[in-house]
Amino acid sequence: MNTSHGTLASTIEALFARRVADLTTSAEFRALEDGRATSAQYDAFIENVARAHLRSPQLLAFLYALAPPAAAGTLLENLLEELGREHESDRPHPDLLRDLLTGAGLAHRRPAIEAEADDDIRRIVVDPLLYGSLREVGLAALTEIVAFEYMLSRASGRIGRALFAHRRVPAPALAWFTHHSEVDIRHAEQGLAGLDAYVRYYGFSDDEALTIIEMALRENVFARRYFRDFVSPAVA
Amino acid sequence: MRLVAATVYALRIPFVESFRHSASDRRWSDSVVVRVRDDAGHEGYGEGTPRPYVTGETVETMVDHIAHELWPRVAACEFPEGAGLADISALVPDTRLAGAIAPHATRAAVEIAIVDCHLRRTARSLGAVLPPRRARVTYSGVITAGPIERAARHARQMRAVGLAHVKVKVGFDDDVARITAVREALGPGVSLRLDANGAWTFERAVDVLDAVAPLGIAAVEQPLPRGPVSELARLRQATTVPVMADESVVTLGDADALIAEKAVDFLNVRLSKCGGITRSLAIAARAFDAGVGVQIGSQVGETAILSAAGRHVIATLREVAFAEGSFGTLLLAEDVSVESIRFGHRGEASVLTGPGLGIRVIEERLRQRAVAVRELTAER
Repeated sequence: MNTSHGTLASTIEALFARRVADLTTSAEFRALEDGRATSAQYDAFIENVARAHLRSPQLLAFLYALAPPAAAGTLLENLLEELGREHESDRPHPDLLRDLLTGAGLAHRRPAIEAEADDDIRRIVVDPLLYGSLREVGLAALTEIVAFEYMLSRASGRIGRALFAHRRVPAPALAWFTHHSEVDIRHAEQGLAGLDAYVRYYGFSDDEALTIIEMALRENVFARRYFRDFVSPAVA
Repeated sequence: MRLVAATVYALRIPFVESFRHSASDRRWSDSVVVRVRDDAGHEGYGEGTPRPYVTGETVETMVDHIAHELWPRVAACEFPEGAGLADISALVPDTRLAGAIAPHATRAAVEIAIVDCHLRRTARSLGAVLPPRRARVTYSGVITAGPIERAARHARQMRAVGLAHVKVKVGFDDDVARITAVREALGPGVSLRLDANGAWTFERAVDVLDAVAPLGIAAVEQPLPRGPVSELARLRQATTVPVMADESVVTLGDADALIAEKAVDFLNVRLSKCGGITRSLAIAARAFDAGVGVQIGSQVGETAILSAAGRHVIATLREVAFAEGSFGTLLLAEDVSVESIRFGHRGEASVLTGPGLGIRVIEERLRQRAVAVRELTAER
């Protein structure tokens, strides 16, 4: 795992790409795309997407507090965008997720999903810290944010199309996916640069950083978040 | 206290990562959780993890055995209000199960559930009857089998988390290379143990242990299959690496035989394997008396219920060489308690002080994650 500083970002990107492939080649994802998933599975998927991202602004706010100067601007931009404050016409992203639930006929599930999202955040706050300081915690959290942006820039269009075609979710309710497929290409590139800046600013060695990044991306991180019953493949 | 109802949940919770060793390859938990309810409406939870290659139990035999053997007998008991742990345990009978060494996972699940319920009835913590000798316990990490690069990656992650003790699964053709890679990734400051799950022959054990002893190995767990105690004793004489029994110590009789033959340096005591809290404490006490070290082990994929019971036992014993468990959501996609049971930095976790086991179980989650649920009632 020895990398020079110049190649850290590309090593991370390769890791991200592998995790995206893990998601998009999983049986669960393929079933969504080709219409073989049951309606209960589509519903569960939509709920899990909402649960995974409803509280993203809170996570970004935490990361902004830890941001190195070189990445602070990008993180602030992301945060304002999540909050719907970047442009006059923007809507907060959590509201786009609520639109998704409503458009999918799952409005009645909203209180439960909001409670689950709250509980997920509560656990992040109250669970014993695995790492020795916030420096490492921040790297793990930033990795997850950037990794999801990277994945969404490559897969959210496909997901949106699948939900439109097979689950009949109306197009306006799919704005969250549309938005992410468009803006996250830029975010993902900025995110990788931000990760690199974070690693340098806090004085991680490449090995040390990659160890934490790999932990944050543990096998099939996206599939585990979007398919809660996802079972990892057997070890070779 | 009389028990009026029980629910048995056969759980299947996916793992975050698959976990493999020489005897098994797991991608989800195979736990059986028991909930008992008393005549005043209090509830208690217990858990056992049946392992065909350890006690001879399976999920199916365990569920049946609880329903047909243990539950009718404990449901007929009157548990005295002031009963201590030993009194309660004495009312949980020893049963037999065809083909099993002992149906200990079954017994552990039922015993722990009744203890939890009994303590909750009086709002007491298990720590009130098993006073902790320390405020925090320190857990080991466990590295699954699989490609060597994966083992080394896990070792680096455990070092990043600050773990002081790590165990690596062995029992494969590449053991020496695997152990070397793990030691290199961990650095010299971390205590390293091996676990062969009985996969080696005597000769293979000697060869591997000779090769890796210079790397600093704190112990080798179950190097040989469960079998004649004399073989373990012979191996102990043939290697400088301390020997620990795991699959070879299921019952108190097993412990006595191992101690009498001076076959081991350590016993790995696991609540589910050894039949519950009191049986585990009895085996640990026998080890202490004989100057044999004790590891309180865990079951891969156990939920917060078994981990909580284990933490109380670890906290109360006068000396625990190594402690395992409380992986929580590091391994399980989702755990079953409101409170997180998982350890934190350096593998440390606080003792539990709430009523009963000290955790609040989310019953709805048990139902969501159960592949089978059996409801039992007391016949009066």
